[in-house]
Amino acid sequence: MTAISSDRLAVLSEYRWPEQPARELPVLPGYVLSSFSPLVAAAAEGCLGGHYGEQAATASRERTAVLLVTAGNDVVSAGHVRDKVAAGRRLGPLFFFQIAPNSVVGQLTARWGLGGPVVGISPVGDPLADGLAEAELLLEDGDADEVLLILAEQADPAVPDSVDRAHALLLAGRAAS
Amino acid sequence: MAEVLPVGITGLAVLSALGRGSEPQLAAALSGTAAFGPVRRFDVSGRRVGLAATLDRAGSLSDELAGVVEQACQDAGLTAGQRAATPLLLAVHGHPGAGAEAVRLAERAGLAGAGRVYIGACVSASTAVADAALLIRRGAERVLVAAGYLVESDQFALFDAGQALATDGAVRPFSAGRTGLLLGDAVAAVLLESEAAAAARGRRPATRLVGWGRAGDAYHPCQPAPDGGGLARAVEAALRRAGVAPDALGYINANATGTQLSDAAEAAALRTALGAAADRIPVSSTKAVHGHALEASGLLELVITVLSLQAGKLPVNAGYLGPDPSCPLDVIAGSPRPVASPYALSLNSAFGGANTALLVQAT
Repeated sequence: MTAISSDRLAVLSEYRWPEQPARELPVLPGYVLSSFSPLVAAAAEGCLGGHYGEQAATASRERTAVLLVTAGNDVVSAGHVRDKVAAGRRLGPLFFFQIAPNSVVGQLTARWGLGGPVVGISPVGDPLADGLAEAELLLEDGDADEVLLILAEQADPAVPDSVDRAHALLLAGRAAS
Repeated sequence: MAEVLPVGITGLAVLSALGRGSEPQLAAALSGTAAFGPVRRFDVSGRRVGLAATLDRAGSLSDELAGVVEQACQDAGLTAGQRAATPLLLAVHGHPGAGAEAVRLAERAGLAGAGRVYIGACVSASTAVADAALLIRRGAERVLVAAGYLVESDQFALFDAGQALATDGAVRPFSAGRTGLLLGDAVAAVLLESEAAAAARGRRPATRLVGWGRAGDAYHPCQPAPDGGGLARAVEAALRRAGVAPDALGYINANATGTQLSDAAEAAALRTALGAAADRIPVSSTKAVHGHALEASGLLELVITVLSLQAGKLPVNAGYLGPDPSCPLDVIAGSPRPVASPYALSLNSAFGGANTALLVQAT
């Protein structure tokens, strides 16, 4: 578990990618070329499954928010689009939605019935600290009782042995825990 | 639900393809004069559609953002000391380095620093506005929200590939015969301030933010729920926070992008959230004149809503050809209408089923 610094948040569930022992990212139907959306999905599924169980996707959770924190976004898809456009070539229609980080969040919210606020931020400081601060704000606001916080970054090709990493936490206010 | 304290809008600055400053935005919104034209900023020869709403001689996004932030601070009459205590919330397209750019933008304007960068697609700016109100509730005297998107080749190509762009040269929200959206430039900044802090420096805001709501559809990666479920709950939350009944609403600046599914889902959401009042609340989408500004759309549309309330006239729903049975709303067609109530909603929706509602009140 993460030793989070907030005394106002309770961690209901937590999951990190890559797993130990390492395994391949599960394929996410409808998403091609890039690992970003499968990475986000794998972390979220591990976290939600750990708390709700595998059958829980049938329930409606209108007051669970999803907060995605990423500095790089989907850098692989973005690079693919940039190269294709620079070459004057047409893009595959899948990239229209794939490249928006919100789309994999929509896939998750549909599967798990998460109907709270959907928020995406790019960290200004420490990503986990920024994410926890935003989660606190969302809970304090009152449109959500739980926040699924997902931090995700793809491997940096400039860094030796860099790997895709994600960390998902299901959070609630202390009073509600 | 968070207690709502008075939050005033005490400074703003804006640009879009309609021009620089408030006056051209308001004039075009009231007359229904759209700014779409051939894209000359980059090559569109291989695209199905070649139109967007782009501002001539626009600078870089970072320079234009710095410009509106400076203008909004001046419009609000902030001193250097007040700026130094004001955090920046920024909404832009997500990319590596966005956080560092926000820090530089805040430093350039002498602000307290970058509090957050919002990259949640088309609800980014409106989400930032809601968070700004919360920070003021926590005790901040003022928060500056800035947002920017300038039409560029990659997003244009993606929307073209997704066949989301209008094929008949116009954006026609809620209209029969609508064929899609067109992209548009927007760079805007808004200063939100506690009314106590504003009063302490002799300012009385003409408009205040009184409510907000955020909710998700839990339906699909890129399509809205047909019943508009998430947007309906966002609207209900905004009204509930403010203690305002649907009958008291005088205007809705809709998200309506001019696409078949989204506009029908939004109409369903409004009927769910507002009940019979949806028959008589005037609605328009100003995207029909300035286009869809993606991450910045929520702030541009909030600014136009504020300007319209202050002017006493409601924007036309440009491009309207006639009613669509899937959008049974009181669409403002033809000419602007007089403001009959001080309360107005500005709505936004995004991929992933994200929805926001901002409720403002003319004082």
